[in-house]
Amino acid sequence: MSAPILHANNITMKFGGLVAVDQLNLKVFKNDLVGIIGPNGAGKTTVFNMITGIYTPSDGEIILEKRNINTERPYAISQLGISRTFQNIRLFKDLSVIDNIRLAGHQGLTYSAMSSIIRSKSFKTAEKKLTEEAIDLLKIFKLENKKDFLAKNLPYGEQRRLEIARALATGPQLLLLDEPAAGMNPNETNELSELIGWLRDYFKIAILLIEHDMGLVMNVCERIYVLDYGKLIAHGTPGEIQNNPKVIEAYLGTEVD
Amino acid sequence: MEYLAHLTLNCGIFIILAVSLNLINGMAGQFSLGHAGFWAIGAYTGAAFSVFSPLPIPDWMNLFIGCGIGGISASIAGILIGIPCLRLRGDYLAIATLGFSEIIRLLIVNMDVVGGPRGFTNIPKWANLGWVYLWVVITILFISNLMKGTHGRAIISIREDEIAAESIGINTFKYKLMAFVIGSGFAGVAGALFAYSQQFIHPNGFNFLWSVIILLMIILGGLGSITGAVIGAVILTLLPEVLRLMGETISQWRMVIYSLLLIMLMLWRPQGLFGKKELNLSALLGRKKS
Repeated sequence: MSAPILHANNITMKFGGLVAVDQLNLKVFKNDLVGIIGPNGAGKTTVFNMITGIYTPSDGEIILEKRNINTERPYAISQLGISRTFQNIRLFKDLSVIDNIRLAGHQGLTYSAMSSIIRSKSFKTAEKKLTEEAIDLLKIFKLENKKDFLAKNLPYGEQRRLEIARALATGPQLLLLDEPAAGMNPNETNELSELIGWLRDYFKIAILLIEHDMGLVMNVCERIYVLDYGKLIAHGTPGEIQNNPKVIEAYLGTEVD
Repeated sequence: MEYLAHLTLNCGIFIILAVSLNLINGMAGQFSLGHAGFWAIGAYTGAAFSVFSPLPIPDWMNLFIGCGIGGISASIAGILIGIPCLRLRGDYLAIATLGFSEIIRLLIVNMDVVGGPRGFTNIPKWANLGWVYLWVVITILFISNLMKGTHGRAIISIREDEIAAESIGINTFKYKLMAFVIGSGFAGVAGALFAYSQQFIHPNGFNFLWSVIILLMIILGGLGSITGAVIGAVILTLLPEVLRLMGETISQWRMVIYSLLLIMLMLWRPQGLFGKKELNLSALLGRKKS
């Protein structure tokens, strides 16, 4: 097996006396599709926040392609190729759908602030290219006919899709999805699970996702990490996880003798 | 007639101030209450240049150099203040910038070389209506064009959702600082123009009440709208004067009426006259934008 693109080596996150994540080891390989599951409060989103630089791990190291990114700021980590969505959707609500996407293409643009003020040629060509790329991406997500809508006026399922599209527009090599199916009906969830697998193949990226919908996780993910009270209690293929007694205990509790 | 010209000129200066503050408060969403401080820096550095070392070139060239000096010194102050203060959020940033503008004013009061508490006199009259409105146009074009590019979008994304902006690779601190420095720079230009048109400036003319009034202008017009900032500046500059002309009773009560009008506006239209929208000529004429 080749080296992992992301390697979380014994990362720990303490908030005062509370240990939210305890010595977690996690590896994501190229083109991987990995799930993190666990009961509420298990520390799943905290793991995401550490990887994306919102929190700095209290201990351990996060390595992205041989580079320690523990103390990098979130924007720098995004520029290094890790992009994410949020559990409670965070779109730029008062901006249009296409501007949400165009903003994510920000790093690819090289023109200076001055050239946008004097409307130079480099500004115009770069903006035109950016808009075309944004429309192409919106087509993939079937949002191109709503490109001028304000993001806040989209229905919930489309807001979720737009957020994934925006994360992809940064050109990541690793995409983190935080409960992408939250609030979706079974139909939308099915569509989403197809979309996730397709995105991985089409964009040739690795995907790490947190999800409560077991159907989706078991369907889509190739490997699953199970967290409980911040500790890794199981790791394996969906088949192995489903029959793991520790996992069943974490979700359903132990039998009373 | 002179009175009217004077009012129009004041409108122009306040348009520059409101549009530049709107970049900081309305676009980037950083609650700054120190605009009068940057205005004062521009006014005093511009005035000092004109009094102590004007160049032997035509007045209008001197005017541009003076405005440049005012703008650049205010920008430098913006960088110095912005780097520590922009790490604060919301109310805390407002208090820090307010404190800064008072420090500037007190420094000026204690600087005898620029007149101290007596005010700065004998400033040459370099600016007239035409020059002021040329700068108004430059300011509006500069900021509205900036907002149409990726840097402007990045500035707006901070107002919309800072965490999301960081998550897609936008260095939010850099763009907050960019908005702050450009905004304070244009306040400095407005200051220099103010000095060259009034020919006399006094430190009390830049106290924190003026920061509040400029803030009121952009809230009235709609935070985040350049058109709104222009209209807000015009209304709040003219309103007290118009009320003064409307007979003795109204004139005596004009500050009360002024306040009541503001309260009513905030009750009925809290997002301001324009909200975040811009006045769009082609939309007004019913033409569809391509």
